[in-house]
Amino acid sequence: MKNRLKVLRAERDWTQADLACQLDVTRQTVNAIEKGKYDPSLPLAFKIADVFQLSIEQIFAPLKDD
Amino acid sequence: MSQPKETTNLARELRSTTRKLFLFTGAWLASTALLTFGPRIWWGYDVLATGIAIGVNLFAGAMMLFAFFRHLKSMDELQRQTHLEAMALTLGITMILTVIYGSLPTVQLLTESPPANILFVMGITYPLTVISLWLSRTSE
Repeated sequence: MKNRLKVLRAERDWTQADLACQLDVTRQTVNAIEKGKYDPSLPLAFKIADVFQLSIEQIFAPLKDD
Repeated sequence: MSQPKETTNLARELRSTTRKLFLFTGAWLASTALLTFGPRIWWGYDVLATGIAIGVNLFAGAMMLFAFFRHLKSMDELQRQTHLEAMALTLGITMILTVIYGSLPTVQLLTESPPANILFVMGITYPLTVISLWLSRTSE
């Protein structure tokens, strides 16, 4: 799965630690999601969408081979 | 906007469950030592006292397991997934090595293979797999 987390975070001038704090996860988890090394669970994806005030589809999209 | 990491719910909860896990693991180790050495040193192999020591050891073990589950639940999802995968890998590696280790006396490469040595394999494999899985996912 690909995502726009890094772009959305940069637009708001948030650090990974800022976002991690709002999501109640570690900064390493935010980093792993941004780099595509880890796909978040559905509850966490909803939480991310809520933090950015966007829908899940506006943040996450499947890769062609997903 | 950003808060010190120490003040997040996750960090606070993790600190609390880690403290409890440490406490109950210590209690379990102490009760294991009591069960192992108590009959010989303190109560001269009295059956009732040994039975009580077994009960205490079982209770401390159950509390340690419960504390470990609480600790797992307090992690964030990537930490939890890493630990669960490390446990699966540890189980598989231990099973494979146990079969080989158990067969060594049969093929006369060792005189005996005490099962307790398997605990060392688990004790080494688990932290190593946790660290390598975590680093592979979170390296910058």
